Amino acid sequence: MTPKSNYAPVGSVWCDNTTMNLLKANDYVAKIIREKLKDLLVINLCSSPGSGKTTLMQETSKLLNEKLNMAVLVGDPETERDAIRMKQVGINALQIVTGGMCHIEAQMILQALDHINLDGVDVLIIENVGNLVCPAAFDLGEDFRVTMISSTEGDDKPKKYPRMFLTSELMLVSKADLLPYVPFSINAVTQDARDINADLEVITISSLNGVGLLQWCAWLERKIIEKKQKSFRIN
Amino acid sequence: MHEISLVRNIFKTLEEAFPGQLGNISNISMRVGLLSNVQPILMQNAFAAVKQDEQDCRASLCIEVLPIIIYCVSCNKNTEVHNFKFFCSCGSPSRKIVQGEELLISRVEFFDSDMTRVRKQEDT
Repeated sequence: MTPKSNYAPVGSVWCDNTTMNLLKANDYVAKIIREKLKDLLVINLCSSPGSGKTTLMQETSKLLNEKLNMAVLVGDPETERDAIRMKQVGINALQIVTGGMCHIEAQMILQALDHINLDGVDVLIIENVGNLVCPAAFDLGEDFRVTMISSTEGDDKPKKYPRMFLTSELMLVSKADLLPYVPFSINAVTQDARDINADLEVITISSLNGVGLLQWCAWLERKIIEKKQKSFRIN
Repeated sequence: MHEISLVRNIFKTLEEAFPGQLGNISNISMRVGLLSNVQPILMQNAFAAVKQDEQDCRASLCIEVLPIIIYCVSCNKNTEVHNFKFFCSCGSPSRKIVQGEELLISRVEFFDSDMTRVRKQEDT
């Protein structure tokens, strides 16, 4: 912060660029969350509305059930529908109602952590509000961002929403069961996304017929192990 | 995105840095990177709207949009990103962003009132 002075400033003041960051409040809280959750894997799952995030959570929990514990914080502008859907299949889920807001901010996660039991949980998935724009700017203290794009949305999306794909570790292409019926090319979407982020991993999935779900769960397991090893070394 | 809340943040940040001096500010300069998703025209509108709530604020707002620049490890040089292709001219990919994510207040200018001139003289 620029030093406070008892005198009125005159002329112009050049500000230190790193300290007057307008998102600094969010980034500060994100850092607290990262410190608090250093023993479990935190994933920020982003996508457009209706691409199948909640259905994927339901299927993922079935597959992980025996081996790993998962919890979900799900954000929506209104209603508790998604949390109810997940609780019905036995997922430890908590709804974050953003009150009309189009993204989750770190402060909402920090508050939600007081209301969800994370004892023995291996992975916390934050199911962000369906939106590929604003959530890209808000760090929620996650380890990795995962972006999902469904085959019905069109394969030209990554370049339209570059920041989201730039900051993601993994891209899930969902609704693969519909690929024979829609003009969507896995190659084209992968190329478009890797123009932005050459290291982006890509997994094609279908929550309805199960394609790619084992691969997605294996990715999660690998990241959980890596996180635990890292946290063990630090402790 | 969220220009109104960003503008409120500008005022909050300035009030913290220069307590009680909001009315003395003549111009605020911002640097926003292309990746910050800030639209200058919407920011100006939001600024004008929020300014009405801030008594005696007479400041104007200047916004400089910064292109995306990445650093290439193999060439040890910076390249500007066009069409969101995050590749150096040598062909290697890079996500090391040197510029483009900024959302910053870069400069604050103040009215040079008589009051402040007196204080300045006392200071020296």
